[in-house]
Amino acid sequence: MPNYTLDDIRNHEGNDQHLLGYSGKIIRINLTTRDVSFVDTYQYVPKYVGGRMVINRIFWDEVEPGTGAFDEGNKFIYMTGPTTGTGIPAGGRSAACAIGAANSPEQYAWGNIGGWFATELKYAGYDGLIVEGKAADPVYIHIEDDTIEVLPADDLWGLRVHEAQAALEERYGHDAKSMVIGPAGENLVRIASITTGNDCVFAKGGFGAVWGSKKLKAITVRGSGVIAPADMERLMYLRYHMNNPGMRPSPVLHMTEIGVPGAEFPVEYDRGNVACSPGCNQHCNALLMNGRSAFSDERVNHIEKCVSICTFDYRSDIPTTVGMFWPTKENYCAPCKLLSREFPEPDFSDPNFEGQGQPLAPDILDFWGPDYDRGTIVNDLCNEYGIDKWEIIIWMMPWLAMCKAEGLFDGMDLGCEAPIDVESEAFLREFITNLVYRRTDVGNIFAEGMARAIRTLGYETFSETIYHGRYSQMLDGKRIDLPVSLEAAWGQSVHWQGRGFEGAIEKPTWLAMSLINMVSTRDAQTVEHFHAKYDYHDEAVADPYHCPHTIDAIMHTQNAAEIKDSVMSCEWQSPDLWWPTMEAEMYAAATGYPMTEQELDEAACRSKLLFRAILIRDHGRCRRQEIESIWRILCVPDSNDEVADWESWNEMVDLYYEARGWDLETGWPYRETYERYGLADVADEMERRGLVPKRPSERWHDYGEPPSVLFAENRKREEQLA
Amino acid sequence: MSGEGYADHVVQYAPDYSLCTGCETCAILCGLTHFEVTGPHVSGIHVNLGTRDCIHHIEVCQQCLDRPCYEACPKKDEAMCFDEDTGVTYVNQEHCIGCGMCMKACRFEPSRITLRRAEKRKGWRAVKCDLCRDKEGMPTCITHCPVRCIGLASDSVPVEAGMHPAIPNAL
Repeated sequence: MPNYTLDDIRNHEGNDQHLLGYSGKIIRINLTTRDVSFVDTYQYVPKYVGGRMVINRIFWDEVEPGTGAFDEGNKFIYMTGPTTGTGIPAGGRSAACAIGAANSPEQYAWGNIGGWFATELKYAGYDGLIVEGKAADPVYIHIEDDTIEVLPADDLWGLRVHEAQAALEERYGHDAKSMVIGPAGENLVRIASITTGNDCVFAKGGFGAVWGSKKLKAITVRGSGVIAPADMERLMYLRYHMNNPGMRPSPVLHMTEIGVPGAEFPVEYDRGNVACSPGCNQHCNALLMNGRSAFSDERVNHIEKCVSICTFDYRSDIPTTVGMFWPTKENYCAPCKLLSREFPEPDFSDPNFEGQGQPLAPDILDFWGPDYDRGTIVNDLCNEYGIDKWEIIIWMMPWLAMCKAEGLFDGMDLGCEAPIDVESEAFLREFITNLVYRRTDVGNIFAEGMARAIRTLGYETFSETIYHGRYSQMLDGKRIDLPVSLEAAWGQSVHWQGRGFEGAIEKPTWLAMSLINMVSTRDAQTVEHFHAKYDYHDEAVADPYHCPHTIDAIMHTQNAAEIKDSVMSCEWQSPDLWWPTMEAEMYAAATGYPMTEQELDEAACRSKLLFRAILIRDHGRCRRQEIESIWRILCVPDSNDEVADWESWNEMVDLYYEARGWDLETGWPYRETYERYGLADVADEMERRGLVPKRPSERWHDYGEPPSVLFAENRKREEQLA
Repeated sequence: MSGEGYADHVVQYAPDYSLCTGCETCAILCGLTHFEVTGPHVSGIHVNLGTRDCIHHIEVCQQCLDRPCYEACPKKDEAMCFDEDTGVTYVNQEHCIGCGMCMKACRFEPSRITLRRAEKRKGWRAVKCDLCRDKEGMPTCITHCPVRCIGLASDSVPVEAGMHPAIPNAL
């Protein structure tokens, strides 16, 4: 029975602290046996807050080491947060984890998603879902208050994303909210996503393929209950102060140009802005209206998130400023304001105005020229097939462009009738469709994702060949080489790594971003963007590897990400560097529990430790492994023609490990680190497995030799020949 | 729809002026203001969400001047009441018996009146837009809409009739 009144929530079984904000139950659904049972949310909260912190704990407790992405033992664990559905801005988002199919190697991955599904699930009386087992035939899960059914999905299987959403709305009414997979997930394409309303997706981790392996096409929910926040006055304060909502009309505009800032090209289209989830006080999603459909003559709207802009034209990279990562208080602007184009007037009285406003000119990359229709087609293909746009637009398409420019495809057809040409709509349509349906040998290879595909094709050639078409505007047009494959770590593409996409950033910034990616399992830069106060910028530039403030800022970035994925907010709203208690206030407003900033930070450290323990226990994570994963991209020159130094990078990693309470040699947390955050039980299990290090008598310092990087060797060879 | 027109009610502006973002702030704040909770059946205003095209429409009582809901109420003037000064038809929660006659009498589809579970779950109560008649100033939904895409008017021209040319098949 859902909660229908305030008293229902306060007096929910197990809610000893009478918290509001939660619905009280997590549904467990076993697709093998079709059994449905329930887990008490209150056994996890407030200690694990909600969202990502709760799913980390459940994953640690329930998923066996050695489980693969497509194994029956893999679980899709999904959680809302206490702010979800309360009207606290961005609380409508939610988080999920599983062994990811997209990572290389397969390992624990997580993501968060917008849309209206999370709020509806809470209306039905549930805070989350644990989907386990595997169905023998296609199924979908239907939740309507107390009714939870696993039903045949034969008639849904094979439908594209929007077709499946429409079919479920037809069946259960327009108010029913769904998450669905498209053909990519059904065909176990490793970069398959899960989509909900507004084209919001779990894009990273390949969760769509995990659903496909479980024969799970969709989950649909409709609820009739209520959600209650604890403190209306505080809630209203948050609504009116979080990132200074515009509170002004936002009309549909007729636009006459589009493209990467600074390299726009003329085209006529209409554009609006919409929110991603219930209760948000921003509208950062750009809605491009009446674009071409990839599948019919119908005109379609689609959401343009940050990456989509490159589909239209990718001659030059994204320009940035120092202040995007090192803001001042006077000129701080949340990313949602940038995306909705509502950024405030600059404050010229800022004593650091010039420094933080310093432009960082983007590289000229010359991947493909302007074509609005081609861009809308690629976006529509990704939306309808249910695949990760990032991998397609930032990795696959540039790879195709670079390989072709360097003559690597001479004599090849990549399984397509259309000539290989990344500027050709016909070729892209055929190539992407082939990989989604695993047609042709080549389609089958690319269905495994770029990281695996280039290794199958021949790593040395199809990853490490030099692309000669990159020119740095930071160095007056100097040619600086790139490898043809823009891989960063863990089988993910570059993202704020200082080279390739979003490349022109300063060394302290890309070092920090890379360290965050190194200790992650997925592209962390869509969920853990690095930010630090400008006060420390000059010190960080003076010594990019050893600035203690950078290490503090990295940890703050990571902890803040953990918190916003748990209290539930979004990457654009949280954190606000000058409002450090904001998330604690959100939590208190939702639940009534007097959460403090320090308590939340400790919860974030606890959750980070659980994540670390999962990686060590389940995937053999250690220092050597993770440094080897990130090192290649650090050997590719940045826009200033600089690469990382092996000794210094290791020293920076040392500083980070020490700050986290991890052993320098292994990268494993010490027992006292676990105990400090209330995880003695985790320490016990790690100790039984021989995974808790002893403190060395002397400081460890044996970095060894750097791993060989083929691209760097190729570059040296080419220079010698020249 | 009605030959007799409407009193002032909440209207959605054309997207040339402001595009609804689908944030549902109007519905959420309505529920919180009236009942301290959010939910699909505690709001007098509902957002019909465009899952795929992201074009969203509000659904709210238009305060019909001939008041079929009021006429259908078996406890007329106790449960379903009428404010002669403002033209607002409203539900007195104390006296509503949750029979649903008003909901059925509403001429709109879906009905602009919904039923919520009453406190202690003893029966049901009707919920409809009362233009926040107990509060000063504009209705809560209008006050808190982040993009000012809703306002107050007696003109019943539905928003889709004045849609932006970019939304030819909105409904």
